[in-house]
Amino acid sequence: MKIKSFIACVILLTATPAFSQENYRIDWEYRGNSFEEFVMQVEAAYPVRFFYRDEWISNLTPGDYGNKQFLFEILDTLFSGRQIHYYHEKPDRIILTRYYAIKLDGDIPVEELNYIPGLDYSEVAESGAPAGNIVIDLGKASDRDLPGRVTISGYIRNQDTREVVPGVTVYIPKISAGTISNAYGFYSLSIPRGTYSVMFTFIGMKEKIIDLNLYGPGELDVEMRGMLIPLREAVITADKSVTFQRHEAGMEKINITTFRLSPTSLGEADIMKSMLQVTGVQSVGEGSAGFNVRGGSADQNLILLYGAPVYNTSHFFGFFSAVNPDIIRDVTLYKGAIPARYGGRLASVLDITPRDGNRREFKGNAGISPVTTHFVAEGPVKRDTLFYLIAGRVTYSDWLLKVINNSALNNSNAFFTDFNTRITYEPDRYNKIDFSAYYSYDSFRFNSDTTYKYENMIASLRWRHFFSNRLFSNLTITNSYYDYDISSFRSPPEAFVLSHTINSSGIRADFTWLPGRHEFNFGADMATYSILPGKFLPGLDSSIVTPKSIEKQRALETALYLEDNFPVTDYLSINAGLRFVTFLALGPQTLLTYDPFYPRGVSTVTDTIVFGKAGAYKTYAGPELRLSAILRTGQHSTAKLTYSHTRQYLHLLSNTISISPSDIWKLSDYHIKPQSGDQFAAGYYRMFNQDKIEVSGEAYYKKIKNMIDFKGGTRLVMNEFIERDLINVDGKAYGLELQVRKPEGRIRWSLGYTWSRVLIRSTGTFAEESINRGEWFPADFDRPHDLILTFNYLHTRRMSFSANYTYSSGRPVTYPLSSYKIGDVILTHYSDRNKYRIPAYSRLDISFKVSGDLKVKKIAHPHWIFSLYNLTGRQNVYSVYFKNEKNTVKGYYLSVFGRPIPSVSFNFDF
Amino acid sequence: MKPETVIRTITFLLMLAGCTIEFKPEIMEDKELLVVSGLITDQAVSNRVVLSRSTPIGNQIISNAVTGAFVTITDESGFVTTLIETSPGVYSTDSSAFRGRIGGSYALNIIADGESYETGFVEMKPVPEIGSLYYEKVVITPSTDSSRIDEGCRIYLDSYDPTGKCLFFRWSFVETWEYHIPYPVVNSICWATERSGRILIKNTAVYNHARVSKLPVTFITNRTTRLQVKYSILVNQYSVNESEYRFWEKLQNINENVGGLYDMTPMAIDGNIRCTSSPGETVLGYFSVSAVAEKRLFVKDQFLGQPHFYTYCITDTLTGFLPEEGLNRSYWVLEDNANEIPPWWVITTYRECADCVTDAERIKPDYWDDF
Repeated sequence: MKIKSFIACVILLTATPAFSQENYRIDWEYRGNSFEEFVMQVEAAYPVRFFYRDEWISNLTPGDYGNKQFLFEILDTLFSGRQIHYYHEKPDRIILTRYYAIKLDGDIPVEELNYIPGLDYSEVAESGAPAGNIVIDLGKASDRDLPGRVTISGYIRNQDTREVVPGVTVYIPKISAGTISNAYGFYSLSIPRGTYSVMFTFIGMKEKIIDLNLYGPGELDVEMRGMLIPLREAVITADKSVTFQRHEAGMEKINITTFRLSPTSLGEADIMKSMLQVTGVQSVGEGSAGFNVRGGSADQNLILLYGAPVYNTSHFFGFFSAVNPDIIRDVTLYKGAIPARYGGRLASVLDITPRDGNRREFKGNAGISPVTTHFVAEGPVKRDTLFYLIAGRVTYSDWLLKVINNSALNNSNAFFTDFNTRITYEPDRYNKIDFSAYYSYDSFRFNSDTTYKYENMIASLRWRHFFSNRLFSNLTITNSYYDYDISSFRSPPEAFVLSHTINSSGIRADFTWLPGRHEFNFGADMATYSILPGKFLPGLDSSIVTPKSIEKQRALETALYLEDNFPVTDYLSINAGLRFVTFLALGPQTLLTYDPFYPRGVSTVTDTIVFGKAGAYKTYAGPELRLSAILRTGQHSTAKLTYSHTRQYLHLLSNTISISPSDIWKLSDYHIKPQSGDQFAAGYYRMFNQDKIEVSGEAYYKKIKNMIDFKGGTRLVMNEFIERDLINVDGKAYGLELQVRKPEGRIRWSLGYTWSRVLIRSTGTFAEESINRGEWFPADFDRPHDLILTFNYLHTRRMSFSANYTYSSGRPVTYPLSSYKIGDVILTHYSDRNKYRIPAYSRLDISFKVSGDLKVKKIAHPHWIFSLYNLTGRQNVYSVYFKNEKNTVKGYYLSVFGRPIPSVSFNFDF
Repeated sequence: MKPETVIRTITFLLMLAGCTIEFKPEIMEDKELLVVSGLITDQAVSNRVVLSRSTPIGNQIISNAVTGAFVTITDESGFVTTLIETSPGVYSTDSSAFRGRIGGSYALNIIADGESYETGFVEMKPVPEIGSLYYEKVVITPSTDSSRIDEGCRIYLDSYDPTGKCLFFRWSFVETWEYHIPYPVVNSICWATERSGRILIKNTAVYNHARVSKLPVTFITNRTTRLQVKYSILVNQYSVNESEYRFWEKLQNINENVGGLYDMTPMAIDGNIRCTSSPGETVLGYFSVSAVAEKRLFVKDQFLGQPHFYTYCITDTLTGFLPEEGLNRSYWVLEDNANEIPPWWVITTYRECADCVTDAERIKPDYWDDF
C-alpha cells in the first residue's frame, strides 16, 4: 500500500479547525492524463500531498474543464457525481473520501450540500468529549428525503496498534439503535436517514463520537485511541449499550485491564478467577480448577485460545490459571445462548481473544509477583505488515514450599511455566495471516518421590480474508495437545509411569456476509480427536509392573452452521442459528457388549466386537438450534428471550469434587452417549439515571441429559472397562441473576445476586446404578445464593482502589453417618449423596494500584499493585474431613486462606 | 503408591498451609444399621460371624452387639450349619463339626430383630503361603533438627502364587510387643497386642505374575514402645474373589481420605448382604470366604533415636509417710523405700507408669522366645 492510499482516518481531522479557500493555479495541460499523473504534477508544483485509495481513482481522468484554472475548481468538477469528496487539511494535505464528505464542527456549510443543522451534544459533553466532534456527511445530500433505511458500515481500528477492534459498541442514542463490531472489527447498521451522533465505545479506549449527516449508504472507518493508562478502566462490564444490543443474552466480556486491578490471592492476575465475578458463574472452592456456569459441570465449558480448546486451564492444581494474562486482549464468556459458530460443550464458551503484537513500535512489559516473573515483548518486523508478540511466565514458587515447616514439603518441588507467541502478517488490507503457539508445563514432585507433570501445546494458523466489505472469511487450522504423566520410584519393584494424552486437530472456515440488513454467519468446522486413555509402564528396569495400555480412542466431529442476525422492526430483532453436528467414533476399537437386563460387569458380557480401522463404529448426529429475540420495550429498556440446544461429545471423567490432575478425557463411544442440554432464558435490562446505572435480570431453565457419574469408590485411572462403573445422570438447573451496576465514572460499582439450583438424578435401572434411589439431589456445585459486590475508586489516573466482596452458600457435601467395624477395620457409612452443606463462604479483598507517572515518553512506566486477600481473615471452609481419633470419628473444617494474605506485584512497561 | 495418592498430596499440602477447626456435623438421621462381619476359612478353628449395630458419628465406637439372632451357613450341597452365639453378638461354628473347604461355596442366612438377611454363595479360593516377611530400618530425619537421626522400621512382605490363581490378595495382621517399665514395680514386663485396622489389599492382575514384591505391610515409628524390647507381627494372607476385592478397594478409596476437593466423592458402599424382608434396608459389612496362610516375624534390633518414654512419670518423691488415698487423690508407687530411714517413696499419678497391665498383658505368649 502506498502512502497515498490513505484510509480516511477521522482522528487526524481534529487538528485543524478552519477551512481555507487558498487555491493553487493549474497552469499546465492536464487533459487526458490519469488522475495519478495529475496528482504527481500538482504535488511537484505545490507543497501539497494527496491521500486516497487507488481503487477510487482508477478510472478517473480529468477532462476539459474550460477556463477552470484552480485546483479546487478542477477537483470539484472532477468529483461531482462520483461520490468522491475531498477535504483540505491545512496546510498541505488533501484528503479524498468516498461516499461521504467530511467537515469539522464549525465549518461554514457549503450551500448546495444543505447541511442539516441542530446537533445535540448535551448527552456526550460529559464523557470527556474529544477535541471537537467530527461531522461527516454520508451519501448525497440530495437524497436526504428519500424514504427507507440505509446502511452504514466500516472497520474500527486501534489507532496506535492498527489492530481491528472487535466488540466496539456503535450506538445512536437518539433512536436507541446500535450494534457491536464483529470479530473482524467490522460493523454494519441499518437506520433511517437523518442526523445523528454516533458513539463508538470500548472498554479501555477513548470514546469517540461522530456527528453524522446520513443521506445514503456509505462506509465509515473509525480509528479509536487507547487510554494512555489502561487502568483507567477497571470494571468488569458488558457496558450499557452492549447489554442493550447484544443478541446473546447471557454474554459477558471482560477486558484485560479489568481484572488487572482485581485483588488476587498471590499477586497473580487470573482470568479464570475473574470469571467468578460474573453472575451465574461459580466454583466448588477457592483455589480449585475450573468453574461452573449456570449449573454446568467444569468440563462443560469450552475454553478457546487461538481458536483451539485448552484441555487443562490451570497451573499448580488450579491455584493459577494456565493462560498468561499478558497476551489477552479480552475474554468473552457466553453463558446463555451460545452462538451457532461454537459447539461441543454444554454450558458455556470462554473465548480468549489474544492481542496481536504492536504494529508500529517495540514495546514490552516485565514484572514480578510473589509467585511468578513474567515478560512480554512485541513489535514490528516490518511496520504495519509483519509483527510479533512473545510472552512468558515462570514460577519460582518453590520457596513457598520451603518455608512451610514440614519435611515432606521441604522435599517437594513445584514448577510451572508458559510461553505464548504470535506472528502476524498483514500483506494488504484484504488478508491477514497469523500463527500462534502456546506451551504450558507443570511439574510437581512430592516428597522426592512421586512426580506429577502435565503440559498443554497449542498451535494455530489463521487466515482472514476480506472478499469485500460485505463478505469476510476466516480459515483456522489448530492443534491442541495435552498430556500428563505421573511417576513414582519409591518402591523400585513397583516403580511406574502413568500417562494420558489427548490430541485434537481442527480446521474451520467461518464466513460473515452482510447483504443489507441481515448479517449471516456461516461455516464449517471439522475436528479429529485421538485419546490415549492410559498407559502404565514400568518406571525402572527392576520394576515388575506389567506394561499396559488402554486402547486409543479416535473420533471425527464435523459441524456446519448458519446464523442470521436480522432486525425485523425497530423494536424486534432476531438471531436464529442452526448447527448440525456429526460425530463419528472411529476404529480400530475393541468393545464389549453387555446383557441389557443386568448391570454391566465381567459376568454380563455378551460379545466382543472388534472394529477395524476403516470407518466409524458409532455415529451420533443431530441439529442444534440457537435462537434469540431482542425486544426494545422502551427508550431505556430491552427484553430478551433465548433458547439454545447444545451437545457434547467429549467428557472429562472425574470422580472428585473439583477437577483433579489425574482426570481423564473420554470421547463418546458405543456405551457413552453424548451429553445434551437445552437452555431457555429470558432477560430484562433497563438503564436509569441518564443511562449511568444499569439494572438487569435474567432467568434461565436448563435441562441436561446423559451426564456421567460413577459408582462409589470407582477408580478411573487405567480403568479399561469404564462403562461398567458409569452411572448415567440427568440434570436440571434454574436460576435468577440480578445485577445493578454503574460501570463508568470515577466511582464504579456493581452488585450481582444469583439465586440458582442445580439438581441431578441417576437414570440407571439397577440398584447399583442409582444414586440416592434415583431421586433428585443437589450437584456438587449447587450453591443457591451467590452475592458479588465490586467497588472501584479511581482517585487519579495514577492511583486507584478496588474492593470485592463475595458471599455464597456452602457447597453440598456427603457426611459420614455412622461407624462400624468389619473384623478390625473401622469403617464409615455415608449419608445420601450431597445431603448436607458446608458453611457459607464470604470474603472481602482490596487492592490498591499506583502507577509511576503518566509521561508518554519515558523509558519505563512502573506500576505497583498492593493486594490484601481475605481482609477480614475469615476462616472459610474449603472442605470438611473426618478422622478417627481414639475410636471416635470427628469432623474437621479445613480452611486454606484463613487469614489476610497480602501481596505486592511490580510491573513496568518499556 | 497408587496414582490417586498423588492427588491426596494436594489436600495434604492444603492442610499444612491452611488451618483446621473441629466441628460436630448436624446429622438428621441416626439409624443404627445392622453390621455383619463374617469370615469362613479353611482352618480348623471356630469360624465367626459378628453381628452388631453401627455407631452414630461423633460417638465412641463401641461394639453394639446384636444378640439372639439365628445364623446359618449353607454350603453348595445344601448342607446347613447353625452357628451358636458364644458371646453377645458373636456367632461361631463348632470347629470340630465345620471346616471350610477350598473349592466349596458358602452362603450366609441371618434372622435378626425380626428381619431376614442373606448372601449369595461365595467360593473359597486357595491361597499360597506367604513367601517372606522381613523388615528394613528407615531413617527419618525431622525437619526441625537435621542433626538428629531417628530410625523406624518398615515391615515388608513377598508372596507368589505359582499357580497364578490368586490374583486378589488381602492381608490382616496382629502386632505383639514386649515392653518394660524402668521402675521396680511388680508389673514391669508386659506384652501388648494390637490388631490391624487397615485395609491391606493388592491386585496382581495388573502384573505378569501373581506375585507380590516388597509390599509395605506397616511402618513402625520409634515413638511407640513397639521397638523398645522386642516386636512381633503375625500376618494373615487371604485370597479373595474379584467382587470382594472391589468392595475393599472402594472402601479404601473412600474411607482413607474423604471430604476434600481432590478426594473421591464418598458414597455408601454395599456389601454382599441384603435384607430380604425389607429390601430397602441398608445392611453394612461383608461375608468373606477365604483360605488363609499365616506367617510371623520377630524384630529385635537397635533403632536409633528412641525417646525415653517414661520421663514424664515421676510426679513426686515423698519422705516420711505416704498420704492417705482419698477424693481427687490417686497415685501409684514407683519406688518403695519404706525400710530406709527415713522412709521415702517415688510416686506417680500415671497408672500406666506403675502397672504395665494397664495397656497390655503380663502373660508371655507361648510362641514368644527371649532371644
